Amino acid sequence: MFLFDELRGLDWFPRADIYRTPSGWLVKIDLAGVSPDEVTVERRGSELRVSGVRRDRFVQKGYRHHSMEISYSSFERTLRLPCRAEECSLRTEFAEGMLLITLDEEGEP
Amino acid sequence: MSATPLVLPVFPLKNAVLFPYLGMPLAAGRPVSVAAIEAAVATEEKEILVVAQRDASVQEPGKDDFFDVGTKGVIRRLAPAPQGGMQVFVQGIQRVRLREITQLSPFVAARFEQAPVALDVGDEVEALEREVKALAEKALALARPDASEIDLSQLTGGEEDRLRWLYIVASLMGLEMARSEELLSADDLTKALNLMHGYLQHEVRILGLRQDIASKVQTELSKQQKEALLRQQMRAIQDELGEGDEEGAEAELLRERIEKANLPEAARKEVERERERMKKLPAASPESGIIRSYIELVLELPWNERSEAVLDLARARQVLDEDHLDLDDVKSRILEHLAVLKLNPEAKAPILCFVGPPGVGKTSLGKSIARAQDRKFERMSLGGLHDEAELRGHRRTYIGAMPGRILQALRRVKVNNPVLMLDEIDKLGRDFRGDPASAMLEILDPQQNDSFRDNYLDLPFDLSKVFFITTANTLDTIPRPLLDRMEVLRLAGYSENEKLAIARRYLLPRQLQESGVDPARCVIPDETLLRAIERYTREAGLRQLERTIGRVVRKVAVRFAEGDPGTVTVKPDDLVEMLGPEPFRLEKVRREMVPGVAAGLAWTEVGGDVLYIEATLLPGGSGLTLTGQLGSVMQESARAAQSYLWANAKALGIEPDRFKEQGVHIHVPAGAIPKDGPSAGITIATALSSLYCDKPVRPDTAMTGEITLKGLVLPIGGVKEKVLAAHRAGFKRVILPRENEANLRDLPKDVREATEFLFVDRIEEVLREAVIGHCMGEPESVERA
Repeated sequence: MFLFDELRGLDWFPRADIYRTPSGWLVKIDLAGVSPDEVTVERRGSELRVSGVRRDRFVQKGYRHHSMEISYSSFERTLRLPCRAEECSLRTEFAEGMLLITLDEEGEP
Repeated sequence: MSATPLVLPVFPLKNAVLFPYLGMPLAAGRPVSVAAIEAAVATEEKEILVVAQRDASVQEPGKDDFFDVGTKGVIRRLAPAPQGGMQVFVQGIQRVRLREITQLSPFVAARFEQAPVALDVGDEVEALEREVKALAEKALALARPDASEIDLSQLTGGEEDRLRWLYIVASLMGLEMARSEELLSADDLTKALNLMHGYLQHEVRILGLRQDIASKVQTELSKQQKEALLRQQMRAIQDELGEGDEEGAEAELLRERIEKANLPEAARKEVERERERMKKLPAASPESGIIRSYIELVLELPWNERSEAVLDLARARQVLDEDHLDLDDVKSRILEHLAVLKLNPEAKAPILCFVGPPGVGKTSLGKSIARAQDRKFERMSLGGLHDEAELRGHRRTYIGAMPGRILQALRRVKVNNPVLMLDEIDKLGRDFRGDPASAMLEILDPQQNDSFRDNYLDLPFDLSKVFFITTANTLDTIPRPLLDRMEVLRLAGYSENEKLAIARRYLLPRQLQESGVDPARCVIPDETLLRAIERYTREAGLRQLERTIGRVVRKVAVRFAEGDPGTVTVKPDDLVEMLGPEPFRLEKVRREMVPGVAAGLAWTEVGGDVLYIEATLLPGGSGLTLTGQLGSVMQESARAAQSYLWANAKALGIEPDRFKEQGVHIHVPAGAIPKDGPSAGITIATALSSLYCDKPVRPDTAMTGEITLKGLVLPIGGVKEKVLAAHRAGFKRVILPRENEANLRDLPKDVREATEFLFVDRIEEVLREAVIGHCMGEPESVERA
């Protein structure tokens, strides 16, 4: 039997930090090993939805797993922001395995 | 996102089902499992199909050994197992349907297609969802009290949660394999919910029952444990206090008492048996209490104890004379019985029945009899007693059973030869519970009562030494068989002079003492007492008189208390001031008599009374009208009287026209009091005769006697009371049947001397003596007493 804590911990559930910046918001998501091509960022109201797939690109023929702790396969993370994400200008970049999403309120008319 | 591969390795799962959205740790030991996992983790996405095996015992499953529906999962963790093989944690992703097994070795692989559960919507599904949720909460609370903090409602965010929580509940409830597979196979939400509903309902019922059983066992156990603990503590305390074994001590005490008690053999055997029975019972049990009270009763009953009856006739006579004035007849009868008992101590005690109006001293006479013989005295009232069991007890099998009153009385007096007075035997009731009068038959029969059997005691008890005295106001309501067993002694009322003597000797001193008045300072002369007797009381007994004297004495006491230093003498005329207006004057002689009225005499339970019979003609009417609550005997007697007068009208000098033309109405006041009996016969005849002749009856004459159709006058009862009533009312002449002449012996001398008695055989004599100037012919001689 599995309790929910366990479930949460084992689910592929990328962690996120959210910063308040002078011009708006910065969302940083731990997406190590995920190809930027396979990440989708969507906005709906004040919600920011990040989804994608992590694939094990390092496994090769003839390798055998001894143990495995990294979660693969598809993930989905929805973050609620204290601003109207939809109405902000949005910029994404990948750096050191982190996805950085910059939301600029001042960019709004 | 790349397209989902349509062929994946299959992990054959035994005895379990992986649900989508849920994770599950799996141990892979079998080569097919290990190979499947290795193949899965070697891919970029680590996906694997987890499908349950139909038969858990199959080690190398074939194509047909899998269920059709399984779950596609992702391997999240992998670790080598200490005992070989590997442990993985698989997260269920989605429900799939197998299409084809593509290989079996080294691992099983299958082609599959996604098979999402149809999330149907509608009122019906919603209702079902809510119902299942409510049930699920109940079931979880019962089955997993530890998981109660899991708030299912948190999950119900997205649309998929509608299915997800169902799977979570299934896994939390530990749904068995077959049902789990069934649930997973459900193609739409409605079906899944229905399955879950059925399962949960069953589960809730079973769990509820289990909990009940468990808690019952729990309470039962803890109660017993508590009791045992308390007992142990009690024993420890008793030991500490040195009280030791209380139960044992009590049983020992009882045994000693039984040994010492002077019991007849049968009773001893019974008591021993009961004591043996009691020993086997715990002291606290109710049964034990019942047995103890039974044994105590047997021990306390006076089986052989008796007070030594003093049979000194001279002393007995003295005691009786001290306590009661006159009543010579009764006293001599009592002395006769005592004499017999003296000559033959084994003789059975007589059963006396004192009959008389209230307040004539029946109870106090009983006490005197006990005192005269130095016996103990006990009395009980039978008035209103309507349950036979009151006398004879309840059988011990009944809860709250008690011995009957007779045995209780004997237990109280502690001797078997007391004077036992049974008051008001004429007022025994009876109802569906039985007839106490019939039980009295046994108790009062000297032939039977030496082995009286009380239902509670259930042993024969000898009542034959008991001196029974019963009292009654009237004999009419006593059943014949009961009356037959008793020797009836009549205590009639007292005359004024007797009352005066009793008041002077007993009542006044007693009242003076009770009020704390010095007898020397309160003088109440005879005239005052007589005035009180005549004008303030109307009774055969003395209770009213005693109360009246008490009131007078208290008025005097008030004067002394207010500081009057002198002596108070109460004159007859002071009574009005002290007691108020005189209440009784009505039944005095009517001074003016009109034709058609005659004075009769009646016997009542409170003594004799004067009765005026009034008759009046009804011009133009016919027949005979009787009013005044007359009983049938009295009505017949009135008809007989009228018929006689009519038939002998000529000889009696009555105008026949007076009968023919007019009806007659006879009334007997007071109209509210029922009256019956034949003794008013001659009075009615006299009243009618006086009416027809239009001549008044002498006002100083009262009469009583039964009349026959041929004019004979027959004797009647209660002569003494009737004559006393006439005397009290102030009649100088009383007409009586000749056969009642002997009854005058009972009358006090002063009454006999003050009254002229006329004894008659025929109605003509009555008319001649009573009606002034009766129109009848030949005068005959009437003997005068």
